[in-house]
Amino acid sequence: MTSRLLVSIVDDDESVRESLPDLLREFGFAAEAFSSAEEFLASDHIDLTSCLILDMAMPGMSGPDLQRELRLRRQDVPIVFITGHGDETVRPRAMAEGAVECLLKPFSDASLRDAIDLALRVGRMPRSTIECGKVR
Amino acid sequence: MENDLSPVLDALPGLVWTALPDGNVDHVSRRWCEYTGLDAGQLVGAGWRRAVHPEDLPGLLERWRSILIAGAESAMEARLRRRDGEYHWFTIRVRPLVDGPQKIVKWIGLNIDIEDRGRLGRASESLYRSISDTIPAMVFFMTPTGELESVNQHVLDYVGTTLEDLKGWRTGSLVHPDDLPSVRVAWDRSIATGEPYDVEQRMRRADGVYRWFHVRGMPRRDARGQIVRWYMIESDIDDRRRAESLLLCEKQLLEMAAAGSSMSDILVALCRLVETTSEGCYCSVVLVDPTGTRLEHGAAPSLPATFINSIIGRPVNVDSGPCAMAAHLNEQVIAADLMLETRWAAHAWCPMAMAHGLQACWSTPITSTMGKVVGAFAIYYDKPRTPTREQQDLIAQFSHVASIAIERALSDTALKQSEARKAAILDAALDCIITMDHEGRVIEFNPAAERTFGYPRGEIVGRELADAIIPPALRKKHRQGMARYLRTGETRLIGKRVEMTAVRADGSEFPVELAISRIPLEGPPSFTCYLRDITERRRSEEALQRSGAFLTEAQHLSKTGSFSWCVATGEIIWSEQVYRIFEFDQAIPVTLELIGSRVHPDDISLMKDMIARVSAEAEDFEYEHRLLMPDQSVKYLHLVAHATRNRRGQLEYIGAVQDVTKRRVSEEALEDVRSELARVSRIASLGALTASIAHEVNQPLSGILTNASTCLRMLAADPPNVDGARETARRTIRDGNRASDVIVRLRALFGKRRFSMERVHLNEATQEVIALLLNELKRDRINIEMDFDDDLPTVMGDRVQLQQVILNLVRNASDAMGGIDNRPKRLIVKTERDTDESVRLTVKDEGVGFAPHDLHRIFDAFFTTKEAGMGIGLWVSRSIIENHHGRLWAQPNDTHGASVSFSIPLGLASAENHDLSVNWGPATRDQVMRSL
Repeated sequence: MTSRLLVSIVDDDESVRESLPDLLREFGFAAEAFSSAEEFLASDHIDLTSCLILDMAMPGMSGPDLQRELRLRRQDVPIVFITGHGDETVRPRAMAEGAVECLLKPFSDASLRDAIDLALRVGRMPRSTIECGKVR
Repeated sequence: MENDLSPVLDALPGLVWTALPDGNVDHVSRRWCEYTGLDAGQLVGAGWRRAVHPEDLPGLLERWRSILIAGAESAMEARLRRRDGEYHWFTIRVRPLVDGPQKIVKWIGLNIDIEDRGRLGRASESLYRSISDTIPAMVFFMTPTGELESVNQHVLDYVGTTLEDLKGWRTGSLVHPDDLPSVRVAWDRSIATGEPYDVEQRMRRADGVYRWFHVRGMPRRDARGQIVRWYMIESDIDDRRRAESLLLCEKQLLEMAAAGSSMSDILVALCRLVETTSEGCYCSVVLVDPTGTRLEHGAAPSLPATFINSIIGRPVNVDSGPCAMAAHLNEQVIAADLMLETRWAAHAWCPMAMAHGLQACWSTPITSTMGKVVGAFAIYYDKPRTPTREQQDLIAQFSHVASIAIERALSDTALKQSEARKAAILDAALDCIITMDHEGRVIEFNPAAERTFGYPRGEIVGRELADAIIPPALRKKHRQGMARYLRTGETRLIGKRVEMTAVRADGSEFPVELAISRIPLEGPPSFTCYLRDITERRRSEEALQRSGAFLTEAQHLSKTGSFSWCVATGEIIWSEQVYRIFEFDQAIPVTLELIGSRVHPDDISLMKDMIARVSAEAEDFEYEHRLLMPDQSVKYLHLVAHATRNRRGQLEYIGAVQDVTKRRVSEEALEDVRSELARVSRIASLGALTASIAHEVNQPLSGILTNASTCLRMLAADPPNVDGARETARRTIRDGNRASDVIVRLRALFGKRRFSMERVHLNEATQEVIALLLNELKRDRINIEMDFDDDLPTVMGDRVQLQQVILNLVRNASDAMGGIDNRPKRLIVKTERDTDESVRLTVKDEGVGFAPHDLHRIFDAFFTTKEAGMGIGLWVSRSIIENHHGRLWAQPNDTHGASVSFSIPLGLASAENHDLSVNWGPATRDQVMRSL
């Protein structure tokens, strides 16, 4: 099972932390859930993470805060944002910040799978590459 | 014996005769016959009378009879007719011839012709004696040096001693010891000067009693003017003296009465006078009380108090004592010897009196001139005694004086009381009382008149009333009226009550009420005028009229009527306005049935309950009900009544009833507007909350979708992961419920609904609101702190409305901190119990706060500091809190931001049974109305 890629989840909502890892494992990934940005940063899973599914609004450090922090740490983990406060303005802003995808809750398993696949394809690549990949 | 004596008698050189003991003459001498020219046969028996001068005969016979009775030697005087018809004065000396002790066998008489001897002039000493004995007075003969020579028979009879004893009169007890010194001085002076002696003095009688005598002494001189003898004539003036003394006493007493001495003083003086006049006696006067049944004290200056006290208060009857008996019977009661007395035993009067040393009591009723018994006059002695005739006279005299004194005193008292009463009435009267005579001059002017008119009494009495108090313009009319009355008796004023104008001393005029009555006395008419200053009354009448008019107008304008309802009699009185409100004719008598006919059918039972309750017990009440008018329109009435007691002590309600239809309608309209605003506000909030709500709902939806997808995948695997699928399905249901809860809460918060009262626990309500907002707050990174008072009491209110207010305040606070990034965004929600029996909730932020000049504007409907807000929030919040009788206010914090608080009184908590006496607001009233 070591060949499985690790998808990490950071969300303060427990139901997400419960349900999402099961689905990801059904997709064939390894999954690890964290209840806050701080917890994730403190873990040794950052380097192992192939894709980060990140909630935007959280008490303390928010999703974008974590995104900025990882960039500062040169950890170019591909990030898929998920948010319950969805409106038209959220997604473009997140994408502009370098997110692979921004999913509005609730989202379908297919759209999640697509987003992860995209993230994995983009991989830990310079933003330009991502841009290219996206263009593609 | 006759034979023996006749020759002897005939031989005597005088007119001699003898008489039998019965006075019949049995022998006359020859010379007697020769003198008269009558023979012996004609002179014996009673025949001698024809020789006596007719003028002298009656006196002579009288004298002769008394001599016969006295049985002693004596003399008489009369003119006897000589045979030639001439009368000569004779002294007729008679002497009894006594045989054995006290046995008179014959009288011998000698007629001595004194005519030719010049009457007294040549009378012999013995003749003088004889003559002096005939004088009806005591005669003393004194020597020129003042020694007693002889006395006439009256003296000896009076003093009961011998001449020898009398000679020592200067030292003896003949003259009263009190008079003796002055008698001696006067006598010595007369002896020395020869001036006549003229003194009144008391002389001792044989029985020891002193009587008053007027003593006159004249000297008899010889041819050379030398005094040869003093003749002293003493006439008994005791009766006169006593009469004079009594008269004097009576005068004194009457003077006392006239001078206004008290009855008691007069009676005491009277008792003292009696006691001095009649020596050795004690005197008392008792009075009969006004009811005529009991004895009262009058006077008893010399009797012991214990004796008097045992008499006072005794019933006026025959048994309780001599005075009571005398007063009862109106008869004198004499108890000459109390030792032998058997009357009044029932009251043991005699032993009581004897214990005080009294042995005799004479009690005499005192009667008024009308014949009514007013008291009794009693004389007591310490020895048994019967009143003499003199004493009886004295008693009669003094009883009479006492009756005058008592009657005078009683009428004086009555008069004084009447005068005092009249004076008191005049002085205390609030009305001016003025008396005037037939010429219109003031006789009396009471203090009220002095005050009212400004004249001192002394200044106006005697003046013509019209000049003083009648305005100049009316004086002529007054005089004409007065003259007409005096002339014809015709009057427009007397006995009537009229209002007119009067004038004060300072010339100011004022209205008075006047009544004149004629004083019912003899003589020219006089009048009493009763005047009352009615300035105040006029003013208050006008004020009353005015305020009555005001009230009517005010009732009309305010659509408020007043009523009274006497529960016991069922009498209901309505003001005009109430009739107008109920739209009944004012002629219709008001009854509860009549009122019931207008009351809205839905409110009838409320009214009946109310009537039943307040009829049973006095209780102020207030309630609202509706009327259904004949045209099917509805009126809202607000009724307030106060329980009171009328003059008969009956329960009576006085109240006001107001037609509040317009207010109700506008209130309802206002409330609709307010509700709409609140709803708009909520919708505005909803817009702002969309994200939060979406998040709240999307969260569980997200979980549902994820779980359902996982579940399907687990079941599609080969072999299917059934356990995993079951778990994900379970989580799906849980998230579904979670989403459903959110929807329920949202619906509760944002649905359009009516006010509903319930017990609200502010901590719980706040917690629910914060739970809704938590995600939003989290997103905005607001640190919310809850500082709740765990013992916070519940309040009555609309839970949802209050939650909307809290939501509003928290969101405002959160918004106020939107632009803050240099300090923690702290938001504190605090609940506490206020000191003034209310609960308070405060939302404190550390945001931009308010500028002080905005503080009063923040509750304006469209004021906002927010770019995107509608600003309706605080205004609506405030109206909600005010509907809960609370208040909502804001104040800046010391450092950053502001605090917005509201407080709601706990008082409403006791109002859950919709007590009608509570002054409710529109919201709660709505609640009550719906429960009718």
